Amino acid sequence: MPVRLRAIVGYVLAMVTVAPLVWLLVAVLRPADELFDVTLPSRLTLDNLLYVLTEVPIGRYMVNSAIVSVAVTVIALVLHSMAAYALARLRFPGRQVIFSMIVSTLLVSLPVVLVPLFLVAKELGLLDTYAGLILPAIFHAFGIFLLRQYYLTIPRELEEAADLDGCGYFRRWWQVVVPLSRPVLASLAVLFFLANWNAFLWPLTATRDPELRVVQVGISTLQGQYGSAWNYVLAATVIAAVPTLVAFVLGQRRLVEAIKTSGLK
Amino acid sequence: MATVADPGTAVKRPPGAAPPVWNRRRREALAGYAFVAPDLLGLMMFVGLPMVLSLGVSLFSADGFGGYTYVGLANFRQMAEDTQLWQSVKVTLTYTVAFVPIGFVVSLGLALLVRDHFPGVGLVRTMFFLPHVISLVVVGIAWQFLLVDKQGAVATLLRPVGLGDTSFLGDPSLALGSLVAISIWFLMGYNMLILLGGLKDIPREYEEAAGIDGATAWQKFRHVIWPLLRPTSFFVLVNSVVGSVTGLQAFDLVYVLTQGGPAGSTSSVVFYIYQQAFTFNNYGYAAALTTVVVGFLVAATGTMFGLTKGGRFDAG
Amino acid sequence: MSAFERVTRRSLLRGGAVVLGSAMAAPLLSACGGGDQGGNPKELTFWNFYGPNPQSDAQSKWFIDLVAAWNAGNDVKIKLHYLPVSEYLAGRALQTAFSAGQGPDIFLLSPGDFLRYYNGGVLTDLAPHLKPDQIADFENGALDTRKVDGKIYGLPMEREPLAVFYSVDAFEQAKLSEGDLPKTWEQLLDVAGKLTSKDRFGMLFETIPGYYQNFTWYPFMWMAGGSAVPENGGPGFDSPAVHNALKLWQDSIAGKIAPRKPLGDGGTDTPANLGSGFAAMQQTGIWGVSQLAQSNKDFRYGVFPLPVPEGGTYTTSVGGWAFVANANGANPEAAATFIAWALGANDAEGIERGRQWNTVVKANLPARTSVLEAAKSAGAFDDPALKVFLEKVVPGSRGEPRYTPEVYKAVSDAIQAAQLGGADPAKAAADAAAKIGTFLKGYKGAAML
Repeated sequence: MPVRLRAIVGYVLAMVTVAPLVWLLVAVLRPADELFDVTLPSRLTLDNLLYVLTEVPIGRYMVNSAIVSVAVTVIALVLHSMAAYALARLRFPGRQVIFSMIVSTLLVSLPVVLVPLFLVAKELGLLDTYAGLILPAIFHAFGIFLLRQYYLTIPRELEEAADLDGCGYFRRWWQVVVPLSRPVLASLAVLFFLANWNAFLWPLTATRDPELRVVQVGISTLQGQYGSAWNYVLAATVIAAVPTLVAFVLGQRRLVEAIKTSGLK
Repeated sequence: MATVADPGTAVKRPPGAAPPVWNRRRREALAGYAFVAPDLLGLMMFVGLPMVLSLGVSLFSADGFGGYTYVGLANFRQMAEDTQLWQSVKVTLTYTVAFVPIGFVVSLGLALLVRDHFPGVGLVRTMFFLPHVISLVVVGIAWQFLLVDKQGAVATLLRPVGLGDTSFLGDPSLALGSLVAISIWFLMGYNMLILLGGLKDIPREYEEAAGIDGATAWQKFRHVIWPLLRPTSFFVLVNSVVGSVTGLQAFDLVYVLTQGGPAGSTSSVVFYIYQQAFTFNNYGYAAALTTVVVGFLVAATGTMFGLTKGGRFDAG
Repeated sequence: MSAFERVTRRSLLRGGAVVLGSAMAAPLLSACGGGDQGGNPKELTFWNFYGPNPQSDAQSKWFIDLVAAWNAGNDVKIKLHYLPVSEYLAGRALQTAFSAGQGPDIFLLSPGDFLRYYNGGVLTDLAPHLKPDQIADFENGALDTRKVDGKIYGLPMEREPLAVFYSVDAFEQAKLSEGDLPKTWEQLLDVAGKLTSKDRFGMLFETIPGYYQNFTWYPFMWMAGGSAVPENGGPGFDSPAVHNALKLWQDSIAGKIAPRKPLGDGGTDTPANLGSGFAAMQQTGIWGVSQLAQSNKDFRYGVFPLPVPEGGTYTTSVGGWAFVANANGANPEAAATFIAWALGANDAEGIERGRQWNTVVKANLPARTSVLEAAKSAGAFDDPALKVFLEKVVPGSRGEPRYTPEVYKAVSDAIQAAQLGGADPAKAAADAAAKIGTFLKGYKGAAML
């Protein structure tokens, strides 16, 4: 496809994709009494956003979410990269079995193991702690699997060059494999951050302390018994999406840059 | 640092000096275990252990208040005559069969579209990914407004073509389709990103070489890109299947948008399991269902792995 | 790296501890009820869903003041814990806590969920903490669905009856007046048809499956003479009365005069539906009065009792939440004393507290005669809508029934199949009746009312 045609198709599809989100944004800027109107708003107002920023401790919620999301992302990337490297490149008895076991955990989802997971967290004394929000979220086969698939494609020669220099396995991983996998690590960092920033069910179940409330749980407290203050709920949603948007834009740019310097071509 | 870090070197070399090959293998194996151990233990603790507990509970009748009675395999026998379970299996199968292929083709199409530079390509990529930035719960709320009867934005847009009275979430024959469409909208940017990573790894020279040989765009895709993209595609597909059956979109979207309705048309298996546990306190039965679903998925993905040699597709 | 190795070892040890711990403590695999509660008998937790929130700040404050007043005069302190309301209604957090032996000492319970907790053995009898005149103070029927064998397992904080709200503007636009307010089912469908336009529905019934939908449908079943479980030797769910009630809702959808998917939170949400002009009439509860006062100040509306079928007897369902005490909690006695004081005390302070909750911070009908009288003298029922509720809606009403989750689900499936799935009402009712019948054969819990 010629560049121009691709560009036009891209623009059109992109507009369609974000149209519902534009609706969301407009809804947030509507005066409260026009929220359910079909027509364009009579005026735009920041009242809803200002209310959430000033009357709801959303800053506190966002700090909690940031602590949890960043911690999970960093720890998970390090651990998953190590495990994936070993599973892709190192030979040891039982490797295939371990890999199958890890992959099979992909098939277990939170809603179905909520009660037993809660029991485990309780026994470990993790309820109502940051650790309780962070630890169970780290271990997920998705990242290991993706990185392992990626490491299978790294040319062995690059690694063997390091071997000739007499590097141990840790340095091979740290000095050769990790730099080579920067693009995929950047993408994963974005995905992990998003998943944890948007997590709801586990933080809700594992914490009671309002001081530990994360942003998605915080938003849901704006819903009322019989009907919700939708203007505030939607406004909080938009505010909560800002960090994830920033994370993605940063990650997206780094991803492209990393590819340029990764020496894969 | 390296000597501390690498368990291989921490092993004292026997004074007699073993053959270097044996030593090297041993070092490699030890390093392998050390690298895998933290993740493996974490998974055992936070996924494996709950699963084992769940397996144990599936042999009991639980009242949800700490009371357990051993019932053997009764929970498993109950499944055969549970018509609602089979209805929900049908819902999940329909959803999976629709979502996985359509979602994959859309994501791959987008990835190919934004693979190469054009003015504003970064922005376009970001826009495709944007739905995923917002939590699934909020996505549900937004679509609930957009798809509301008569006054919703979608109904308003479709009124000129005579579809103004269509209820996308309230009509049992349409609700599941709407759910599939929203899922694709939500996940296409995510899968696009992963596929884009795979595409970026395919050396340009291969395609250029094919171009010199006079290959059409389709032939290039079919004979160069597709085979080399297989590991990534495999991953996206496995992930989509799992997501459709037990993942968050199979649960959160249903939970926020329809609560399994209208008339049970979107009650997926995982939503049904959830209801058994939290509405009926049938933790034993819910655990048995979980066991069966996970067992089924293990078998299915195991088969896929077996057929594809661990997703490597060495044969090409 | 070495740090990770340490983590690894620690996780290993902890892992072993967990496996051993859960095998030995065995709340999981033994038949002992309750498990380890491990709470603090001097500090009781009270789970509720009235957190600070744009729409319920006043209600939240009522809870805070209530607890502060108690804590000032008692050794055993109460600590509030808020859950988002959607989560509380879904029950995940509460259920997870109970199944792990970590249930709260005091919590809010609706009649729809009563039997699950009562049959689970976690509710405490409050009667020993109440004087006879305090018990007699509760309005007729207000305690029925919270009682088993003369014991009282929950004190209601409010009564919330269902009626139909209508938009005066919509009526005027359709050239209808107050004289056209429907009194029969036939008239309801007819008037709703006249009120339906290109972008407005004439009537709104709840469409989202759940306890709330059942709650709003039961009055139609009762008015036609049906019941979910056999009552007084009646036929149970598969009866012409039930078929007719199912058919009424089905006709409203099939005739395109009621939405399949309403706005906002659906049937409970008057600002989103009635107030926005999406629906001209909406079946909902008394809370709609305060919702509309808050969100749509200038909106003109009225209220009328649910229409009655030919030859039927009027009734409606009355909901309302109760305080209950966890029998397995750290200090059930203190929890029960607190509840009896909070909602049962009939001294001046206790009555004023009830009046505040029911007619000042929230619009309900009080559950106690003394509070109702106090509210009347304070002029709470001068509001025309509340006057209709008090004088026309509530007489002849019936408390929200307490059915087990199994009965609830069977009925819910029948409503959904008939209303939205277009199924034959007789077939839907027969399917549900079969499920209910099978369930009742093995049921040993408390009576369903």
